[in-house]
Amino acid sequence: MFKFTKGILSALALSTLLTLSATATHAQTTGSVTMTASVSNFVELNSGGAVALTGNSGGSVITDGTANTPLAVVVDLGELGPSNTNSFVKLSVPLRLRSNVAYQLNMVSSVAGAGATAFSLKDTDVGFGLTPAARPANLAPGADTNATPGDPTVGGSTDVNGRWVFAGANSTLGAYAVSGAVLNGPRINKTVAGNSNTSLTLPAVFAVKPQFFDPAPAITITAQFTVVAL
Amino acid sequence: MPRSLITFKIILLAMMLVVTAIACLGQSTTGTVSMSATVSKFVEINSGGAVTLTGNSGGGVTTDGVANSPLAVSINLGELGPSNPNNFVTASVPLKLRSNAPYVLSMSATVTSSGSTSSRIGPADVGFGLGTISRAGTGVNSPATDTNATSGDPTLPANGSVNATTGRYEFTGVRSNLSSFASATTALNGPIIMNAVPRSNANGLTVPAFFAVKPQFFENGTTTISVTFTVTAP
Repeated sequence: MFKFTKGILSALALSTLLTLSATATHAQTTGSVTMTASVSNFVELNSGGAVALTGNSGGSVITDGTANTPLAVVVDLGELGPSNTNSFVKLSVPLRLRSNVAYQLNMVSSVAGAGATAFSLKDTDVGFGLTPAARPANLAPGADTNATPGDPTVGGSTDVNGRWVFAGANSTLGAYAVSGAVLNGPRINKTVAGNSNTSLTLPAVFAVKPQFFDPAPAITITAQFTVVAL
Repeated sequence: MPRSLITFKIILLAMMLVVTAIACLGQSTTGTVSMSATVSKFVEINSGGAVTLTGNSGGGVTTDGVANSPLAVSINLGELGPSNPNNFVTASVPLKLRSNAPYVLSMSATVTSSGSTSSRIGPADVGFGLGTISRAGTGVNSPATDTNATSGDPTLPANGSVNATTGRYEFTGVRSNLSSFASATTALNGPIIMNAVPRSNANGLTVPAFFAVKPQFFENGTTTISVTFTVTAP
């Protein structure tokens, strides 16, 4: 009798162990987290800071540039007729570019209100150029290609009619009546945080030689820059 | 896959999309530079160069003209009485005008003599006229028609003669003596002078202003003749 009871107890114990073992085998022992993401093309144009206006007679900076804010500069160039005895009225506008991809900076411009005779100020009388420097070490390596000849006040001469001509191709707003590339290059920023201050900063220079233009009380010159990812 | 994990993934993806959208909206890819400017009317008179004085007895050019410098000529015409045997004492003063607009050159003159009789030198005794107008050189608007309101060289026979009654020599052409310019009066006008060229271009419209006096038995004394040219853009 005693042997019979012992046998039953042993059987129950074994059964319990098997049940526990089976339960342990079916418990969750791993987990996974799956994330998806993307990195989009990023190109950005902002003001690089305050503009510099020189050679003006009666002009002024109405809305100045502020570093790292959208570029929306407004400047009165003042008198562009012969009563302005300066060699050039020159405006230097700092641009700030950032990207994680190759970029292209385009510009389109217009001149209005200057008159329509041969002696009126025209878009070809407004010199333009970019003067980028070599990239500093804190930017991604690479060379930027400047489509302009640089500072428009360098070089230039009078033509057979005595009118001032800016030197080189793409050196006046006449080349940008329709949108055209002014600068392009490879990725600008290294892998840095979005709030990093590193950027490609370069001045855009606009210049007018005061001449015996037709009188015009309200000339408007507009240049719009757009940066796109290549 | 547990339902809770799927829900977690959906929430995570939504958050990423929102963050991306915010980043995109904050990115500026365009910028504008707006410039305004003015070209005002510009007119200018300067000396066209050295003065030429002829027929004088004594006298001389005290302060000569210098091309492209402000006109401030001073001349001693010398003797204007009958001891001067020359036909005329003539001063030719080159003027240089420039403009980016139609212009009007006017002149006013005064003649002050120490004499007290009708035989003293007066404005009508000082002949005046503008000579040949030249628009030459690069950057000068040419051809163009300028209107000379004077009769030209006052010493030309057509512009004067001896009054048959009084015997006094008179400059008789239209605006041929200073009495016509007691107040500012137009002497010359015309269209734009300069094309769109820099101010450093030294060319312009040049014209000689002639002043002439016929030596006569004027009342003795001293005489001061003062002439002011003014160019305007009407």
